[in-house]
Amino acid sequence: MPLGDIGAAIGIGLTYFTIIYLTGLGGLFSERSGIVNIGLEGMMIIGTVTGSWGTHHFTLPAPEGLGWGLPWGPIMGLLIGMLAGAAFASIHALVTVTFRVDQIVSGVVINLVAIGLARFLSTIFFGQATQSNPGQPHLNPVDLPLLSHLPWGLGAAFQRLSPMVVVAILMVFPVWFSLYRTRWGLRLRSCGENPEAARSLGVRVAPLRYEGVLLSGALAGLAGAYLSVEVTYGWGEGQTLGLGFIALAALILSNWNPIRLMLAAFIFGFAQAIPLRLMDAPVLRLIPDQFVRMTPYVVTIVVLAGFVGRVRPPAAAGRAYEGATT
Amino acid sequence: MATAPLAAPQVGSRERPEWIENLAGQLLALIVALVIALLLGSVIIIAYGESPGTVYGAIFHYGFGTKNGFGYVLTEATPLIFSALAVAVCFKGGMFNIGVEGQYLVGMVTASWAALKLDFLPGPLLMWVAIAFGILGGIVWAVIPGILKVRTGAHEVVTTIMMNGIAVSLVAWAINGPLKYTQQAGFHTPNLRTDAFRASAKIPDLGHLFGIGSSVHLSWLLIGAVVTAALVWFLLKRMRLGYEARAIGASPGSARAGGISIGQVQIKLFVISGALAGLVGMQQLLGDKNYLPIGYEAALGFTGIAVAFLGQNNPIGIVAAAILWGVLARGETAVQIQTTVPREFVIILQGILIISVVVTYQLAKRRLLARQLQTAADVEELADSAAAVDVEGLAKEDR
Amino acid sequence: MTIRTSVVPGDGAGRASAPPLVVMTGITKRFPGVVANDDVSLELRAGEVHALVGENGAGKSTLMRVLYGMYPHEGGTIAVRGEAVKIHSPRDALALGIGMVHQHFVLVDTFTVAENVILGREGAAILDANEAERRVRELADAYGFQIDPGAVIEDLSVGEEQRVEILKALYRGVDILILDEPTAVLTPAETSALFANLRALREGGKTIVFISHKLDEVLQIADRITVLRRGKVVGETTPSRTTKAELAEMMVGRPILFRLEKPLVEPGEAVLVLEGVHAGRLRGLDLQVRAGEIVGVAGVEGNGQRDLADAIMGLQPVESGSIVLEGQDLTAMGTAEIRHAGAAFVPEDRHDQGLVLDMTLWENSVLGRQGEGEFSRRGGIMLIGKIKRSAERLVHDYDVRARNVDTSARTLSGGNQQKLILARELDGDPTLVLAAQPTRGLDVGAIEFVWQQILQQKAEGRAVLLISAELDEIYALADRIVTLFEGRITGEYSPNAPPDEVGRGMLGGVRAEAS
Repeated sequence: MPLGDIGAAIGIGLTYFTIIYLTGLGGLFSERSGIVNIGLEGMMIIGTVTGSWGTHHFTLPAPEGLGWGLPWGPIMGLLIGMLAGAAFASIHALVTVTFRVDQIVSGVVINLVAIGLARFLSTIFFGQATQSNPGQPHLNPVDLPLLSHLPWGLGAAFQRLSPMVVVAILMVFPVWFSLYRTRWGLRLRSCGENPEAARSLGVRVAPLRYEGVLLSGALAGLAGAYLSVEVTYGWGEGQTLGLGFIALAALILSNWNPIRLMLAAFIFGFAQAIPLRLMDAPVLRLIPDQFVRMTPYVVTIVVLAGFVGRVRPPAAAGRAYEGATT
Repeated sequence: MATAPLAAPQVGSRERPEWIENLAGQLLALIVALVIALLLGSVIIIAYGESPGTVYGAIFHYGFGTKNGFGYVLTEATPLIFSALAVAVCFKGGMFNIGVEGQYLVGMVTASWAALKLDFLPGPLLMWVAIAFGILGGIVWAVIPGILKVRTGAHEVVTTIMMNGIAVSLVAWAINGPLKYTQQAGFHTPNLRTDAFRASAKIPDLGHLFGIGSSVHLSWLLIGAVVTAALVWFLLKRMRLGYEARAIGASPGSARAGGISIGQVQIKLFVISGALAGLVGMQQLLGDKNYLPIGYEAALGFTGIAVAFLGQNNPIGIVAAAILWGVLARGETAVQIQTTVPREFVIILQGILIISVVVTYQLAKRRLLARQLQTAADVEELADSAAAVDVEGLAKEDR
Repeated sequence: MTIRTSVVPGDGAGRASAPPLVVMTGITKRFPGVVANDDVSLELRAGEVHALVGENGAGKSTLMRVLYGMYPHEGGTIAVRGEAVKIHSPRDALALGIGMVHQHFVLVDTFTVAENVILGREGAAILDANEAERRVRELADAYGFQIDPGAVIEDLSVGEEQRVEILKALYRGVDILILDEPTAVLTPAETSALFANLRALREGGKTIVFISHKLDEVLQIADRITVLRRGKVVGETTPSRTTKAELAEMMVGRPILFRLEKPLVEPGEAVLVLEGVHAGRLRGLDLQVRAGEIVGVAGVEGNGQRDLADAIMGLQPVESGSIVLEGQDLTAMGTAEIRHAGAAFVPEDRHDQGLVLDMTLWENSVLGRQGEGEFSRRGGIMLIGKIKRSAERLVHDYDVRARNVDTSARTLSGGNQQKLILARELDGDPTLVLAAQPTRGLDVGAIEFVWQQILQQKAEGRAVLLISAELDEIYALADRIVTLFEGRITGEYSPNAPPDEVGRGMLGGVRAEAS
């Protein structure tokens, strides 16, 4: 089996890494503020459909001086997906922070509603319920400087990548800095560890939790938009494949740490690539196709079952907070 | 010092038993949520240039207006009842079974296998055996994440969803392999369905007893669903397992300190939940089509969650909620045919309804508790003043 | 318990001329079903230690939480430094120079001391950890507080955590520091250290509000004392003008007995034997309880009390050693079996180990016994009628105040919840009664009731293991006192032993011989 296949697999792994990592970072902000968010999948879905629409809608006919040569369609698509994700997440925030509904119940509801809402929006945007129109543009791919020249076909992994992959990798810096080196981050984390302590010191818990949840929606929405704009070049129902939940698993595995999350996201991302590129690998060739397609799900379960004993979630996440609700 | 107990005075015995108060509160919450959903839905309807009365009327009429229409509603509701019951059983025990989706798919596969491979069984026995295999499939698929949760602490929300994904592939493999379509070579595209089952595997039609057409496929499974709901109610409220499950769901620490084995109870709940989930697909499989098609997902598992929440995880509420949902689901067609509003509008309506319901239920719960606290304090005050007189007397004695 | 010092607590007379710093007038605060503060007025002066005294539920914490902006109040006014103010949140209170240290610390376990202190007042959008630690160290040194600003809260002792809480307030420049039951979790030595710190603060012109129900300490440290009962002010005095008995009477409204009569019972065979138990925090613990005897385990919270109770009841795995109840080896048994073997459990946490709050009274009354023959049939069907009747009997016999047995356990007051737990546990005719912090948070009436029940158990020949952080309780009930420190029994004493001897045992002192 030529190493080129592995190279291609890594490339795909990076693609899915981007989705999982961005979504996971979103989950990080929400849970660190104390709100469990299993609605990431739903927020991602909203990102996919709105991102696709945004791309179509803002693709200028032909550059006429304005536009500066930038691919406005995809850029706006990504931005809109992000904003739509945040807007959708505001429902989760309202329901859990202000109305104190159980956070997991709310997350499940969010996921249910998202599927229906995506269909409805699709009807409005594209005239059909389950997919977008063809011919959707995307960003110009880039080659990573040194890595794309790796020998033995591995370099293929790093060629023709979406710029968003780079963005995702670089995200770790602002995320880490904002959480651990700013006043806002300290306060946000205190809301997730001990909101009573925060409140007793005048920190306003509810607004911070709203911010955490909205950020999670924005990042999940961005991940979704990336999926429909940069990966599949179009929206289709069900394209998120449970990645929102895989991101949750990655978050748990990483012990809610943005740096560890990168590793976890890549592991899961690579698991996605296996059925797509490595079906002909020595051992895998012997297994029926459908079973190989189960790989990402099985990997997730194995990880959760085997490695989760020693993790420590934010202490107050998941519990109703009896303080101020606005 | 005397240890004679003081009699707790009865405060105007039972003006209103608390369970009635609770029920009234929940019903009110449901109605308020419905009203909110209808109101917000009206906004969308008006945006499309239609009148809310027309649209809602169309939905209502399509569901309740004709016998066949109502028959369709009940047919839709049947699997939803099983699905919601499966979710509710786990929920009462403090767990989220989001895997009903996968569990019923596997149930359909195992039932199909039985229907096809055991077709030497006589008459109605084949049907019962197929159903039993369906239940078994659901149990197996549910017990795996259940055991993982109890043994390793793996969160059941994520693991059950992963099992859903695996189930889809499993169905594809089954239809491609062991249960391949062989009955008519050439004409039908293979890999899309199994062979048809023998007619004896089919669940008998119920609708014709009420003058409802056989194309509606209203089967005896509906009765089974309602009976099952009653059984689940009995289990939760009157049986030891249900009691222990509810204790775990409400306060796992106290349940444990009381000697309840949390792990054992939770696994039993997953078994029951899986069994119920296995029945979800039986309507389509044995009540309608009599073969297993690929791509049959129909999201019954996720809809079951919505129905469970709508019914406040209460078996009786679930039956009502399933019917309501059936009306809305059929209403999609009505809206499509009779108005300019797209059928997806109903999905939005359903979405708003679920969100409103979880919020209003939460608010109702808090309101109710505040009132109960108030009443309890009144009791305490009255009892205290009665006791104070006694104590004064005692104290004088001691001095 | 007397700790001699060289500073005589002032009586406030010398400071009467200073204008009051805080004047609360006619404060009323209601909760669903209860008037926590009823037209309460209070004055605080600069440079004094003002004690707020009352039993649990009298309204002392509530009043101070109103002052600290955590609760809105329905009636009355507050004036600070002569000006009328409206305090809507802790932020407002802190801005006025009012700070509060709660009974249950509100610290972020995973943050450092410095991070906890600066939270909410970080000074800049970007954090500088070194600068923060420096500032915290400076502040601590100014008042003689021993603390390491870089330490993580998880690793600190309770006394140190309390210092962090006080530092939080001082960091915000408070002039008025409210302490809610500060000594509840301290050893006698730590209490001394705290009092020294408080005196230093008072000399610095700060005002301390000392909320407590421990009258000995109040008489030691306070300049002025205000007594609350059932939401109303019933007395204002100074230590020089009152006695412990008088304060107690004001608190409760009637004279109370500090010692109930202990029934004289000849202890029988050893019922519960622990040998070399290693479990959780327990490190080779040996203990024995005989029939007809109450053994009181004294110790500051955090030394293994919870693990001791949990290990006996099968809620905490036992790594090595043995626990034997009347010849049966409990060590490997599950909780249900242990209960069946005759152990009854009154847990320290009513809400998370005792009751299922969302269930009704009758459902709670059988928790742990729902499988027994009289409560359910063989197929697993529960006999609701029988259970309800049994519950009604229990409610009557144990004076649980409730509308009926169908009401939710959440609606019961703390005292009634505890009575329900007692009723349930004692009704099963146990051999051993394990009571952990049985009167925490209860008012005096309920405390007396619970104490009577415990003594009754001894009179009926049962073995009672009492774990309590309240020395008063231990002295009132125990036939033998043992001290628990860092997971081991460090001393055994008779109830005649003086408290500071027992106190030394609580700190790991030399094993004293029982006299």
